[in-house]
Amino acid sequence: MPKSFLIDTTRCTACRGCQMACKDWHNLPAIETKQTGTHQNPPDLNPCNYKLVRFHEHKTADGRVMWNFFPDQCRHCIHPVCKDVADMAVPGAIIQDEATGAILCTEKSAQLSPEDAQAVIEACPYNIPRLDPVTKMLTKCDMCFDRVSNGLLPMCVKSCPTGTMLFGERSEILAEAKKRLAKIKKTFPKAFLADQRDVNVIFLLAEEKEHYYEYAAF
Amino acid sequence: MNSTRRAFLKGVSAGVLCISLSQLGFDLTEAKAYAKELKIKNCRAVTSVCPFCAVCCQVIAYERNGELIATEGDPDFPINEGSLCAKGASLWSMYTNKHRPTKPMYRAPYSDKWVEKDWDWTPDRIAHLVKEARDKDLILKNEKGQTVNRLESVFWMGTSHASNEECAAIHQAMKGLGVVSIDHQARV
Repeated sequence: MPKSFLIDTTRCTACRGCQMACKDWHNLPAIETKQTGTHQNPPDLNPCNYKLVRFHEHKTADGRVMWNFFPDQCRHCIHPVCKDVADMAVPGAIIQDEATGAILCTEKSAQLSPEDAQAVIEACPYNIPRLDPVTKMLTKCDMCFDRVSNGLLPMCVKSCPTGTMLFGERSEILAEAKKRLAKIKKTFPKAFLADQRDVNVIFLLAEEKEHYYEYAAF
Repeated sequence: MNSTRRAFLKGVSAGVLCISLSQLGFDLTEAKAYAKELKIKNCRAVTSVCPFCAVCCQVIAYERNGELIATEGDPDFPINEGSLCAKGASLWSMYTNKHRPTKPMYRAPYSDKWVEKDWDWTPDRIAHLVKEARDKDLILKNEKGQTVNRLESVFWMGTSHASNEECAAIHQAMKGLGVVSIDHQARV
């Protein structure tokens, strides 16, 4: 049974601790960004940000403003399309770890031609992988593979101060996700678990995915 | 990113494509070759305190050969229980940032240049200026002739990182000098 994450967006305060913790653990450098009128910064995932809190606001029918936070990351799919597409060009460029279910971009991903790398990026239903222009490797969340293999929590989960993020055995995470969903449905009747059968990073969303991010769910 | 390829793959991903390819057995053993070595292996773990806000979350700093390798929240500390916000989570970046001054910086009055100063020079300079200000400005009596011993030209800005005991000592020291304006960094 692989490992899974639960990301309960109804608890997220968008402190972006996960985003920074991820950056620090992976020794990723700062990048130049601009103030674009939103707290979502940098504006998109990139080779120096494997985790990004996305911000989205909209008005409800009764005129209230909803401000939704979406800590975006690789979903570590149970059947990873990125891997299938990469395998057609360079077998082993993207691998799936048996024990944890982690989907990992290896050094072989640098052997992908620019076109193939682009195909892998576009294959991802969640718009996650990014091409590092320096190393030519595909980059994305690696489930903190070194930490998880050594019995530690992924850095984002470890850092989360609000209990938004949980990590553990898939069966336990699914059970907890269902428990939380039942509770949240009382306040947000449209709440759902995004693609829970297909992914190991299960987002609990309070509203339709459009109110979070275009690629929040399949 | 709205390519037709993605739309196509969305349609078939749960179907034929992924099952056939992932079951052909492209080696799962390769995952073992992926870096499993923990980067904080053989590091000395030192507890420290996040320098940002008044919550004072405790952190564990991992050090090897005098180099800071990583920082993370201390799960044994009852306040943050291992978690950290964006500021606390960025301690490694902050510490290793080339823009971080590691020596006291001094800008002389009317100067437009910062000068690096010695750690010993700085407290001496502060002590001399405090003494100078107090000797010059101490108000012994008010207009009615009552003893006030008040020093209005100095104020104390406290830090979230002072413990109760340190605050008590600071408070007594400041009151001893006659300082009446005492405030705290977290209120600013």
